[in-house]
Amino acid sequence: MSLVLGQRAIPRDTTLWEWFTDPVTWTGSGGILVSLGDTVALCAAVIVASAILAVPVSAYLAHRRLAQVTSAWLVNIGRALPTFAVAALLVPISLRGGYGFEPWPIFIALTLLTVPPMFLSTYVAVKEVDEAAVNAARAMGFTERAVLLSVELPLASTVIFTGLRVAAVQVVATEPIRAFLGGDGLGRYIRDGIGQNNATLTVGGTFLIAALAGLTGITLTAIERLAKPYGVRRLRADRSSRPGETDEVDVTDVAEPAGSHAAAGRLR
Amino acid sequence: MLPVSGAGTGVAARPPIPACLSSPPVPLLPHETGTVIDQDLKTPAIRLRGVRKRFPGTTEDAVAALDLDVERGSIVALIGPSGCGKTTTLRMINRLIEPTAGRIEIEGDDVSNQPPVELRRGIGYVIQQVGLFPHRTIAANIATVPRSLGWDRSRVQERVRELAGVVGIDAQMLDRYPDELSGGQQQRVGVARALAADPPVLLMDEPFGAVDPIVRGRLQDELLELQNRLHKTIVLVTHDLDEAIKVADQVALLNVGGILEQYATPDELLRAPASEFVERFVGEDRSMRRLALATVGDLPFEAGPVVDVDADVTTGLAVIDDHRSDWLGLVEDETFLGWVPREQLVVGTELRQIERFLPAAQVAPSSTLRSALEIIMTSRTSVAVVNDAGRFRGTVTLERIRAGLAGDLDAPTEHAA
Repeated sequence: MSLVLGQRAIPRDTTLWEWFTDPVTWTGSGGILVSLGDTVALCAAVIVASAILAVPVSAYLAHRRLAQVTSAWLVNIGRALPTFAVAALLVPISLRGGYGFEPWPIFIALTLLTVPPMFLSTYVAVKEVDEAAVNAARAMGFTERAVLLSVELPLASTVIFTGLRVAAVQVVATEPIRAFLGGDGLGRYIRDGIGQNNATLTVGGTFLIAALAGLTGITLTAIERLAKPYGVRRLRADRSSRPGETDEVDVTDVAEPAGSHAAAGRLR
Repeated sequence: MLPVSGAGTGVAARPPIPACLSSPPVPLLPHETGTVIDQDLKTPAIRLRGVRKRFPGTTEDAVAALDLDVERGSIVALIGPSGCGKTTTLRMINRLIEPTAGRIEIEGDDVSNQPPVELRRGIGYVIQQVGLFPHRTIAANIATVPRSLGWDRSRVQERVRELAGVVGIDAQMLDRYPDELSGGQQQRVGVARALAADPPVLLMDEPFGAVDPIVRGRLQDELLELQNRLHKTIVLVTHDLDEAIKVADQVALLNVGGILEQYATPDELLRAPASEFVERFVGEDRSMRRLALATVGDLPFEAGPVVDVDADVTTGLAVIDDHRSDWLGLVEDETFLGWVPREQLVVGTELRQIERFLPAAQVAPSSTLRSALEIIMTSRTSVAVVNDAGRFRGTVTLERIRAGLAGDLDAPTEHAA
């Protein structure tokens, strides 16, 4: 595959501008459009899979206040996993099983990278929802399911989305290691740039990845805005439900003590 | 007793009682004048029997075998120091906490037989932190329970608007969100939400603890006003003795470990503390607190050294001698005219002719003894004139206030017309 075919060799004195404006750079099997498609598809798959794996379980456990220590522990181990090493270890297993260089090894490695932060942010978000609102919901006769779905998740959603966004940007920024493990995607320009000792390719590839990561953040923010109902959207994360800071004091309403000090007599 | 027939017409609606049964006449208690039949009146709205709670992993009871009856339509305050289990007790009533032992009945039904979710939808609940749903509008917050109960849209909407009026929330605020309201307004919405499905029982956990004292006082007044109209059975947890005294019909004072030290009216609690603990809890100034509890109208009526303006001076002199007073009050047609000093009372003059001093201290029968005392003290007199909407009702003296505190202020007093 691409390891064998490699990137179309380009002269070393090509400038970035020349490279980016050359239509051949964009089209064809090794072109930017195809590579971008590969990267976006994999990243999207990883993010969706991680969210499905992390969010429901984490939200439920946090709602029940279960496995607080165990989750923290697993999350920390997960964060310590070196993604590249995991993917590299998975490649021979995948090859032996007949699944090829990709997408499984890199998909699993990236998912393992993304699940822990998503799990953690969801757990913390649900757990930190204003207890008064949750208690009130329960006292109003909400079922546990309704407490989670109509109170905890909406109020936690801002933090959950933030965790999702951070994880997504991390995935996009990490995905290029795929090119070093027999895959394609935008990482190929960095790999080929290094291979051909061509800085233009390396820098160009890096630029593309950074741009995609930034775009991912913006896109997810837009999706978040569309997904949230107004009542949730207008809440700032840092004041999810505290009572008004200022108590209005309407002194005119306060009753005067009864009785009148009418005329000033001089009784003794 | 016979069932009371006729809706809301009180004494007049009682069926004629055969002569053989009618003596001695049985006076109607104030709460018996409603439409409910006597059998119902005998079962308390909420009954706790041997209710005990020990939390897992602890060796002491949080609440020790508690018996408590809450009369229908009354406000009961649970009060006590931290760790006395007052909130635990409250939360056991709607099964937010399950008792370790004992039985809790609401309207005679054991709550442990009812699914918690349905039980709670039938009980109003107000907490200190209010706990409004910040992502929902005020209207949606108030509509919470009716919507859970599946009321149709128009009925919910109508109810929300009605409740906003009841608790004094402007209709324009209904589309706003909780964080746009002040603490006091939020608490009103909290009360509206608790009342939404018209539950007969309301549980309140330090409902006014989070607002400043001025707003708190106002919310307490509003609660009392509301209660006058709605007649809910209310159990209220508080750590504020003044609040308990002000709003509650009965106060249950709990000691650490959920031991019921005294269950009595606020006045009895202050007048006759059942134990040293109660005495310490209500404090050395309990007499002063009782002053805030009783009104001038609660004191026995006392005319004082007062005569009709047309009486003769000899009568006047006799009256002030009787009262060992230096001043004589003059009244004409139930209007207090003023005071005249003893040295002006010369036999042969007409009382009407003597120069009068206007009364400095005047109180209404509805004034608390505390404000009466305040008025007497600041006017440097020892007597205040009781005027009810301009009509002279008598006088109240320092001595009378003091004597009143020695007695039972809950006992109904006969008032002269």
